[in-house]
Order: sequence, then structure tokens, then C-alpha cells
Amino acid sequence: MGNMKIKAKVKGDTLKCKVQAKHIMLPYDAAKKKGVDANFIIQITAKVGDRVVYEASTSQFLSKNPIFKFEAKSEGLKKGDKLEMSWTDLSGKTVTEDKKIKGLK
Amino acid sequence: MERRKFLGLGLAAVALVPASLSAVNFRKEKPDAFTAHNVADSIKALYGDIKTEESKDLTVKAPKIASNGGAIPVTIKSSLDLKSVAVFQDANPESAVVVFTIPAGAIVNYMTKIKMKGSGEITVVAEGKDGKFYKASQKLEVALGGCEG
Repeated sequence: MGNMKIKAKVKGDTLKCKVQAKHIMLPYDAAKKKGVDANFIIQITAKVGDRVVYEASTSQFLSKNPIFKFEAKSEGLKKGDKLEMSWTDLSGKTVTEDKKIKGLK
Repeated sequence: MERRKFLGLGLAAVALVPASLSAVNFRKEKPDAFTAHNVADSIKALYGDIKTEESKDLTVKAPKIASNGGAIPVTIKSSLDLKSVAVFQDANPESAVVVFTIPAGAIVNYMTKIKMKGSGEITVVAEGKDGKFYKASQKLEVALGGCEG
């Protein structure tokens, strides 16, 4: 825990999610100056069960601790479903965290 | 020489990504799109030689004047039936920022924060399921560049 802040809520027929990944997101330019390796999130995926609800291939130009806000249709979601977020960064590290979706009946 | 090295780095990074994570990994399939230095090249590397059209159903929203280039909120909204959405800008050394794969049942109302070194233009290209490509863009001014970390 502590690598991500996840908020997921169903309102009407929409699943609304807000995720903040804690990551330094160091681009090549800045890394060169500091003399360290660049490191940033290159792939982020959100799933509910087996269903992928959000997927992005990202580059070095997302902000530090990037925020992702997205929506999906809430059709087929059941009470107790969890939103599972995972990201992979340039160093090969993968972090997965989940959070219960609020507002499901 | 420097560019060679840089490309090599990118490839090494791509090789590290576990294939199981996603169905479409744009960094793996189209590495050139992420190392292209201008928007046109990047679009070409990602989607090929395409014609884009403006659509009122695809909008990009960003502040006209961003006080901090380190975190510019960009919102993309669309009611079209899309396959993927790519975001580019022309202020940073490389132009691709993020490529979203739109899964079934997703509502395109995405917000994310990006970095920009200076004032420039954000371009969003969306690939529709009908095979058409849509484009939306917005110019913005950045008071304080955010690429220096």
C-alpha cells in the first residue's frame, strides 16, 4: 500500500474512478542532469474482475504523481467488486493495488 | 550518436514490460511513436499515414494559461465509438504523451496531468471504430516549464 490512491464510485450507470499513482516520473532530460536513470510509468491498467475498464500507454511527460480520472459503464458490476489498478514503470517494477467500488447495490 | 543510444534505451525498456499486462501495448508495438520529435512524425509512427478530421464530439480541455507546467490537467471527452486515443504536445523534446486504449464499455471522459516544458499545443487524435480519425487541439501558455524535474 501507499503506492496509489484509488477512489472508485458508481453513480447511476457510470463508474467513476480517480487514481493517483505515487511515482517520481523522472524524464530523460532531468535524469541526465541528476545523473540517475530515468524512470516513469509506461503502462497503467484498471480492471474489475476480468474486465479491463481503462488502459493507457504513457510516456515521460505525465506529471509527477500523475492523476488519472476515468469513467466506464457500470453495467454488470456487483456489490463487493473491486477496482484493480496496476502500473509498470521503466525499471520493470509492477505495482498492483485494489479498492472496493463504492455505491454498488 | 545520441539518438542511437536513446532509441536503444527505449527498446531495452520495452523488452522489460511483461506481455501479460495488457492486450495492446503501444510502447511495445509502436516504439517509434514515443521517440518521434514532432507531432506529425509521432502520429505517423502510431497510426500510419492518416487523414484526420475535426469533430465536435471530440474535445480536449486544458487551461489556457497554466501557471505550473509540471502538472497541467488535460481532459478528453468524446461520445464517439473509439478504439484508441492518443495525446501529443509540441513543447517537449518528444511529442507523445499518452495513448489510451478504449476498452468496451468505457466512457471517454478522461483526465490526466501532463508536463510541458513551455507554451505549446496539445493535440488529441482519436481512432474511431469506423476507421476514421478525429483530431482536436488546444493551444496553451505555460508560465513555468515543468520538464526540468
